[in-house]
Amino acid sequence: MSAILEVSHVTRRFAGLVAVNDVSFTLNQGEILGVIGPNGAGKTTLVSLISGTLPPTSGEISFEGHPITTLPAYRRARLGIGRTFQIMRPFPGLSVLDNVAVGALFGQGGGESDLKRARERAREQLEFVGLARHADQRADELGGPSRKRLELAKALAMQPRLLLCDEVMAGLNLVEIDEVIEVIRRVREQGISILVIEHVIKAIKSLSDRLLVIHHGEKIADGEPDAVLSDSRVIEAYLGRRRA
Amino acid sequence: MKALWLILVLLALVALAALPWYGSDVLIQFGISTLLLAVLAQGWNIIGGYTGYASFGNSVFYGLGSYGVAIAMVQWNLSFGFGMAFGVVLAVVFAFLLGIPVLRLKGHYFAIATLALAQVMAAIVSNIPLAGQNIGLVLPPLNNDRLFYELSLGLLVLATLTVFWLTRSKFGFGLIAIRENEEGAAVMGVNTTRYKVLAFALSGVFTALAGGIHAYWITFLDPESAFDISLNVKMIIMAVFGGPGTILGPVVGAFVLSAISEFLSSEVTSIAGLFFGVVVVAAVVLMPRGIADVIRRFRTSGWRYFAENIKAHRL
Repeated sequence: MSAILEVSHVTRRFAGLVAVNDVSFTLNQGEILGVIGPNGAGKTTLVSLISGTLPPTSGEISFEGHPITTLPAYRRARLGIGRTFQIMRPFPGLSVLDNVAVGALFGQGGGESDLKRARERAREQLEFVGLARHADQRADELGGPSRKRLELAKALAMQPRLLLCDEVMAGLNLVEIDEVIEVIRRVREQGISILVIEHVIKAIKSLSDRLLVIHHGEKIADGEPDAVLSDSRVIEAYLGRRRA
Repeated sequence: MKALWLILVLLALVALAALPWYGSDVLIQFGISTLLLAVLAQGWNIIGGYTGYASFGNSVFYGLGSYGVAIAMVQWNLSFGFGMAFGVVLAVVFAFLLGIPVLRLKGHYFAIATLALAQVMAAIVSNIPLAGQNIGLVLPPLNNDRLFYELSLGLLVLATLTVFWLTRSKFGFGLIAIRENEEGAAVMGVNTTRYKVLAFALSGVFTALAGGIHAYWITFLDPESAFDISLNVKMIIMAVFGGPGTILGPVVGAFVLSAISEFLSSEVTSIAGLFFGVVVVAAVVLMPRGIADVIRRFRTSGWRYFAENIKAHRL
């Protein structure tokens, strides 16, 4: 298996706080890598560093063998990195369909130039994530669970080769979580590599090929989900010292 | 419904185009200044309404367009057409040079930074001999209001068609995405810096052309009137009154507010400004999203629409 994403010794400091500290890992072609960690561990910062909305303080990131550390976010999107936002950020005044169409118009490889074709592609993605009947609604009229799906559809319309999912299951009920897991599995079947950040450990365990655990900005474990979740350092990070 | 709109717009256009043949001289002059204001509001609509950057720097484009024509015609004895092109070049160069740093700022910061630009430009131009320093330039008079009227109308049609194209093009979608959520647009592959600067330049092209026509029509300009910040305020009020981010809103806003303003200054002369202020405040309170939104929502909400707006803003 070849690596699609390589993160090496990446650090991000915010005045006085080290949000991500010397983190290195690789994500292989076609793999689903789960990233877990307690609140404030630096997971979202990590996604922002990879997608390019934040520059790292130090370290290198490469995508498909090319260094992307200094590339702006839109260039990374065109190379094929799509992301969803934990704090959902649709284009509120646009219809759900047009929200997704933006992904098809831009996205990987520079996207579609024809608006009509972009909307067709957007409609396919809405069907894929199960939002087709909301296509003509304004995005800010959607409820929470639907917004999570919209985030996914927007990123998928970009036809990414790497998808970064920032807590797409947070706030969903068990049925909805299963549905989203199913969608993510089908995304992987299309050959898209995926990095999933999640709080719901049960969900991420069944979904991921490999798990990465971050605590206080540092990587504390990386490996098979079962082995990682029984690691004493991981249990300590989640439940405190006495339980470990 | 769409066909009906198209017919209405075309009828209005024919009536406007024929106005110089049935209207009085005063009406034609009122028409020229209203059409030019509508072009300014439509130009502002591109950067302010569609891209979401409330520019106070558009009066700089206006001034550059005016001076482009004046310098070309007075100092170089060249044609009006060349002057217009020169003004456009100045505006585009300005949009690129200052747009790149200034468009990095967001919200109020962007507004404040652009607000300063017009003052700075007035001061700079006052010291350039080629531009007549602070005395200004006098252009060769051309007594043909019919021509100025039709030129202004043609420019307004061109600006409006450009905005129409924006609403169904990839470029326009990129701008709207930036307005709605700039970071979200960037991670989806929109080159936000490039799009913003291009929108600023496009906005500047129409504004400069309007300035050029106005300079030749009025035949006189000085730095104070060419880089007048209150003109910028006017275009914003008109665009917002009509509906920013809509195709016809800014045009309708310019027509309606110009008519109200003209009516007030002929009826109550000395306190016209006060009444005009009341109209603007009432508009902001009752229909904060402009006439376009009233037309869209009035059918479903009826008179409640206005009450809802008052409530929504806790007034």
